[in-house]
Parts: sequence; structure tokens; C-alpha cells
Amino acid sequence: MSLFDEIQEIRKENISVGFLADECRDRFRLRSINEGVGREKLITDRNLHRPQLALAGYTKLFTYHRVQVLGNTEIYYLNSLKPEKQQQTFRAILNFDVPCLIITNSNQLDPALIEIATERGVALFSTDHETTKAVYFLSDFLDDQFAGYAPVHGSFVDVYGVGLLFVGRSGIGKSEIVLDLVERGHRLVADDVITVTRKGAGILMGAGTRIGEHFMEVRGLGILNVREMFGIRAIRFQKRVEVVVELQEWDPKAEYTRTGLDEEPVSLLDVELPHVLLPIFSGKNITVIAEVIALNYLLCHYGYNAAEVFAEKLSDSIDRSNGRDSRDRSIPYFEHDFE
Amino acid sequence: MIVKRVRVKNESGLDSRPAAIIVRKASSYQSKFSIIREGFRVNGKSIIGVMTLVAEPGLELTLEFNGTDEEQAAADIVAFFENGFQE
Repeated sequence: MSLFDEIQEIRKENISVGFLADECRDRFRLRSINEGVGREKLITDRNLHRPQLALAGYTKLFTYHRVQVLGNTEIYYLNSLKPEKQQQTFRAILNFDVPCLIITNSNQLDPALIEIATERGVALFSTDHETTKAVYFLSDFLDDQFAGYAPVHGSFVDVYGVGLLFVGRSGIGKSEIVLDLVERGHRLVADDVITVTRKGAGILMGAGTRIGEHFMEVRGLGILNVREMFGIRAIRFQKRVEVVVELQEWDPKAEYTRTGLDEEPVSLLDVELPHVLLPIFSGKNITVIAEVIALNYLLCHYGYNAAEVFAEKLSDSIDRSNGRDSRDRSIPYFEHDFE
Repeated sequence: MIVKRVRVKNESGLDSRPAAIIVRKASSYQSKFSIIREGFRVNGKSIIGVMTLVAEPGLELTLEFNGTDEEQAAADIVAFFENGFQE
């Protein structure tokens, strides 16, 4: 059984147009043209569509269920038509069940067309971003909305800029490690319930939940608020998950890595993450070990893997040892300097 | 493993008082205990976890018990839900 077997990915099937409007109003300067219309319609696809061919009359393969973006091309084309033909063309698009229309570049839509959309209950939005930028922003927003996510039970801390996700059974001492790390100047992202979201391929972002943010429970003390207690520098809101640290009671029969060369990554929401299995026993300072895990990750990230370098050094020495005195003292001569 | 569907029956929902009691009950058993709200699964032995569910009155939740004493744990905690969080 692997570590995150129980974790079930959650995915939104849809978001409402109203949600898109509210979330994008300030973020991407998305203004509603016919406020309040078509907010209940559902967006089910993370992709956008520019309905150029559909406007021209070719509606086979028209991906009408996507958010439709009207850029310069579409608007200039509509404006080039006589009013009657213009309205007919616009109606033809709205005969399909489109979720909403977004007009970029601050382009204006003819009032008669706005009326048609309102009549059909289709929301119209306008943004002053140019089309490429608007598409970029909206795609990223929709990608994030439809990304797989899941709650994970653990503690998530930024240690020297490395996102360490601590997991292990209830009561093993995750929260105590977090407090110790925060006390040493590291930053808590979330304790107990961490929502992890897959962003793109191979990137996992973690954050707290809206209600649980920076609250934590320490057995024997109750609920604490780390932000209030340690200040703003002790927290952050989101962080990429970079290493999974699994805490386990020391088991003399279990095998723990000795060289670090055979580390098995662990998969969380189909993202492969480096995994450290850490045995706990009394007298062991996990905080320092956590810092070293973070530093070692950084070293490896910047191209230095101590285990590999050491292994290489060893095989080089073995190659060169042919015919050497086997009573080697490793230092050939202590020079006359007794320091 | 035992899986049970329960409903939040009291007027104020699963707020801090019943949450604390559930966690206390769950922690007295060996079995693993999860509460699931529409796919969102939390550890039932963690107070922050249970409170994170923000379970309002009338909401249906899934309880999952897994371990050697899962039957006793399930009976105890399901009864607590059934009684509308009255001890």
C-alpha cells in the first residue's frame, strides 16, 4: 500500500457564469455588460473558443459549450455586416447553448446585439485586456477551477523556501514539529487539513482551507492561531509541495535509507514527489532534520547530490587502488604541525 | 471497514462543541476514522479537520471506520449523530 492510496481526487464538474463574473471582475477587469443576466448558466469546459467560423456560418464542430471570446476579428467582422445580417449572424451563434460571451480590447457591441443576448439569457462581459492576454488569464483561471484537488491530513511548512509536507498518524507529533519550525523562523502554510491542487503537469500546490487557515491544534493546549501568536512572518498562504516527509515510529525491523541513493518517490494526485521516511524516537531532533532535508533538497536542485558524489568518489578510489599498500592510513603523513 | 451515512440533526450544526466530542470519542478507539463531505475527506480524530467540514444542519456526511475496534467506534459515533449530538 502506498502512502496516499486513500486520497481521492475531487474535480469540479462545472462552475457558474456568476462565479466566473464575481471572481474575474477585479482580477482580470471583467465587466458585465448585461448585469445579472445568465449567471446560473454552467461552464463545463476549461477551454475557450473564438467563434470565427461559426460567425461566418460554418457551425459544424462549433464548440459552443465553451466560453466564447470575441476579439478584434470577430467584432470587426460583425461590424462589417449590415444591421439586419449582423443580428441574424449573432442570433445564429446564440441558437447554440453558449455559456457566456467575452468581448476583449474594450470593443463595443451594438445595443441591438446586447438586447438579443439579454433576451436569450446569455451573459456578456467586456474587458480592456487585449485578446491574447485575456485568453491567457481566463485559461489559467479555468484550468485552476477544473484542476484536481484533494484534502490531505498533515502539516505543511515552508522551510528555507522548500515546501515540506509532513504526514503520519494522528498524535505522532506533526503539530509540535510545526511549532518548533515556526519558532526557528520558518513559515506555516497549513496544519491538519491541507488542500493540494495539481497545477499543470508535475506541480502540486498546497494551501489551508478557508476556515482552517493558520489555526492549529496542539494536544494539551487546544486551538492556537499561529498568525496571531507569531506574526505575519510566521505564515504564508500557498506553497508548492516539494518534499513529503513521512513520520513513523521507529521500528527496528523496518529498513530506512542509508545512502539516499534508493529513495522511492511518492505519488500524490499523479504528481511524483521526493519522499523521506523518517523514524521517530526519543532524543531525536526532527526540526533540525527537517531543515537538513530542505537544504539537501536545495543542493540537489542546484545540482549537488551528496550521495552521488560520495559514491563516485568511492568508485574512483577503488579504480585507483590497484597495487597500493592495503595498510593505507588515509592520511599519508601528519606534517610537523600539531594543531 | 465500516461506512455509514449520517445527517447533522441538531439546530446549530456540527459546531465546536459536538466537533470536540466526536474527536474525543474517535481518539479513544484504535480504528482510523474519516468524515467525508461531498468527496472532501478529513481525519475524524483532528479537531481542526472536523471543524473544517463546516457542516450545517441537515447536511449528509459519510463516516468511515477502519481498524480492529471499528464496530464499537461506529456504534458510538453514529449514535451521537442520531441523537442530534446529545450525550
